[in-house]
Amino acid sequence: MSLLQWKPAYSLAIPSVDLEHREMIAMINECHQRIEEDAKPETIERYLGEIYTGIGAHFALEESMMRRAAYAEYEAHKQDHEELLDQIRDMMDLYDQDIEAGRRELQEKLSDWFGRHFATFDARLHDQLG
Amino acid sequence: MLALIQKLLRLLLNGFKPLLAGFQPASLNPLRHLGSLTIFFFWIVLVSGIWLLIFFRTSVDGAYESVEYLTHSQWYLGGVMRSLHRYASDAAVITLLLHIVREFAFDHHRDKRWFSWITGIPLLWLVIPLGITGYWLVWDRLAQYVALATAELIDWLPIFTDSMARNFLSDDALSDRFFTLMAFLHLIGLPLFLVLGIWLHVFRINGPKINPPRLLMSGSLLAMLLLSLVFPALSQGKADLETVPQNIGLDWFYLAIYPLVDSWELAWVWALLAGISLLIFIAPWLPPRASRPVARVDLDNCNGCERCVADCPFGALTMMPRSDGKAYEAEAVVDADLCLSCGICVGACPTATPFRRRSELVPGIDLPGQPMAQLRETIIEASQHMQGQRRVLVFSCAWQKQANPGGASDTAVISLTCMAQLPPAFLDFILSRGHADGILLLGCGSDACTYRLGAEWTSLRLHRQRDPHLRQRVDSRRIAMAWEQPWSRYADPRTLLSVFRGSLEVQGASEPQTRPASVYLGGRAIAWGLFAAVVGLLSVWPRYQPIGVNEAMVSLSFSHAGERIQQCRQRSQAELDKLPPNMRKPADCPRERHPVSVVFQVDGEERYREVLSPSGFWNDGESTFYQRFPVMAGSRLLQIDMNDSGSPDEYHVHTQSLNLAPGEHVVVTFDRTQQEFRIQ
Ligand code: HEM
Ligand code: SF4
Ligand code: SF4
Ligand SMILES: [Fe+2]
Ligand SMILES: [Fe+2]
Repeated sequence: MSLLQWKPAYSLAIPSVDLEHREMIAMINECHQRIEEDAKPETIERYLGEIYTGIGAHFALEESMMRRAAYAEYEAHKQDHEELLDQIRDMMDLYDQDIEAGRRELQEKLSDWFGRHFATFDARLHDQLG
Repeated sequence: MLALIQKLLRLLLNGFKPLLAGFQPASLNPLRHLGSLTIFFFWIVLVSGIWLLIFFRTSVDGAYESVEYLTHSQWYLGGVMRSLHRYASDAAVITLLLHIVREFAFDHHRDKRWFSWITGIPLLWLVIPLGITGYWLVWDRLAQYVALATAELIDWLPIFTDSMARNFLSDDALSDRFFTLMAFLHLIGLPLFLVLGIWLHVFRINGPKINPPRLLMSGSLLAMLLLSLVFPALSQGKADLETVPQNIGLDWFYLAIYPLVDSWELAWVWALLAGISLLIFIAPWLPPRASRPVARVDLDNCNGCERCVADCPFGALTMMPRSDGKAYEAEAVVDADLCLSCGICVGACPTATPFRRRSELVPGIDLPGQPMAQLRETIIEASQHMQGQRRVLVFSCAWQKQANPGGASDTAVISLTCMAQLPPAFLDFILSRGHADGILLLGCGSDACTYRLGAEWTSLRLHRQRDPHLRQRVDSRRIAMAWEQPWSRYADPRTLLSVFRGSLEVQGASEPQTRPASVYLGGRAIAWGLFAAVVGLLSVWPRYQPIGVNEAMVSLSFSHAGERIQQCRQRSQAELDKLPPNMRKPADCPRERHPVSVVFQVDGEERYREVLSPSGFWNDGESTFYQRFPVMAGSRLLQIDMNDSGSPDEYHVHTQSLNLAPGEHVVVTFDRTQQEFRIQ
């Protein structure tokens, strides 16, 4: 079973952002699946590093769009981005020390964060920039 | 040779650094803000100039009096404004010259950076005439001197056939027309071009510093105000064309070449000016140099986030419509003619993270000559060779070669093009993966960053004020930026390294130590005081003596047409028949005239001998003579002989005995109607 599910409601009508959202979800699901199958620390490290980079770049793009549109809720939205990046970054270290704990974090926190961020922050972008 | 000069200048400019650092943070080093300080001084000039304009009268008779009124009757405001106007213009020349020297010393003018340099040259050629015309408008003794010398200088150029200097020889010749021209140049023409020129000069680079920091602005304004109150700018007596200005206070910032106009052949003065300009003009390519491979965008890793565009100091990056069909709006595009291969854009790209393992570490933008993937390998390899409890990884930029503190087994040195080439994620990577215990960034520093903004962006990123920022989780006490407090106090990298290594032991070490505010304030006051003193002093001193104390001046100034070489001749009928019908004039009058030769003697001693061809395309115009000579004061016999017909015995001769007072000015002219010489 996959960790996250893409929903049509997530679409922002901004092609690039939608594309990256799909890619992110696919990448996280793939990572999750790999970990379930074969939880070698190297594998996990490789996937998490990739996710961390990809999400970092996605946020950079979203933030630049918001800045260009002088989006009013920029600060709060960016704050939420930073929180996720911190969480993923922490997870990367946690997996190094304790694989089980790391796995739990990935399942709970990530899916949690995405569900919430898509539904709230990014959805509002749809209304404003989409 | 040039490299040696540059090195010496760098030593000199850097020599100020510890001195200035003693009483202010490095970011307030005025040497780092010379361009913007120049602009700030121009602001002072503009505002004070508007005040002067309100009271100024544009006429030969009114100008001097209106300035005197401002200076004396309205000293508290108009006088101060006048002084501010002068001193801020002088200060702008100091900062402007230092600006040129500094950009040159630090190689900021080279190769692909030619644009700012070349567009700077016209600014120089606008600022100096702006000052000259300003001095002219006051119409005091200095203005009189400047007017005549400038006119002579311009007369040398083969632009006007008429002599411009003639206008400034006697009060009758002087007209308001010239004043209006000067006022136009000084008040509208030159300033307009200057503003356009400054815009052109800076628009191509990213985020040019137009305003200096507030503290520098208030410091410079206060210094100029103080100077204006203590040492107000004064006129040097009303212009009087009957006498020669003697012992004048010359503003050396603007008028330094004028003594050369008096003592050199004008051709040499122009050659000097042209030579200097030409040298500046070709300097960016002296000697020609190969450029390194420019930054390259990898579209598979670029989503168009624009971070690289925001950080490129040279405007070499632009966002363009997507070319690979992906759903993204834009992509970064490198302009190879502007890219200096500094790598600052790589340090800004969010995909340049060393944590990537599954895919290759290929960032959205990378330097082919020094790719990020290779940098990661270099770091890992270097860390494997380090041993000890407090291993320090040193990043040194290519411009800090001499700063290599390496050697010991607990230190490794990696060379970067620029500190800002290093994405903050690399610092996180190095410390969290235990590749080192501390990181020392030995960049060239914010006041001398080779790539303009490298040190600044690095500081902002590591202080978490600019994206991509150093994540909060990274212990920033383990990272030292050599150009920032408290580390900037250690000029020697070896000392810096050992102090930094020492600080790694203690837990909450390296609290920035700053000096008390009063020390900063006192030091600043002294520095600005000195600056003001230099401005005030050089604006009138050393004084200048255009002619000797016991000398008077004689000017020759007249135009005269030589006689026609051939008399008119009646054409015969046969000749007329040969001509086309529309040209059948009975008289044939060749227009060519004789050259005019002049010899001038004082007490029988020949001082001037010249033969001038007629002007004009057909050699049918007047010959124009202009020359001035210092002559010892006292009783003198002047004699002038002129021949205009080519035959050796037809001379206009004029002799006159005069009693010349020191500083007196007499003009020898030729009266056309009476056909005889006059000495006034
Ligand atoms: C009116 C006189 C001038 C003003 C107001 C002026 C102002 C400036 C300013 C504001 C900058 C940007 C500094 C920064 O943010 O990095 C700059 C850069 C520069 N200026 Fe000037 N400037 C003047 C004359 C000149 C002259 C005469 C030259 C040389 C012949 C010159 C050469 C340069 C160079 C080489 C740069 C650096 C461009 C780079 O970093 O690539 N400037 N100037
Ligand atoms: S390497 Fe430097 S000059 Fe070239 S694009 Fe990148 S930041 Fe700009
Ligand atoms: S910073 Fe990187 S991802 Fe962003 S536009 Fe530049 S090259 Fe593309
Ligand atoms: Fe998003
Ligand atoms: Fe978002």
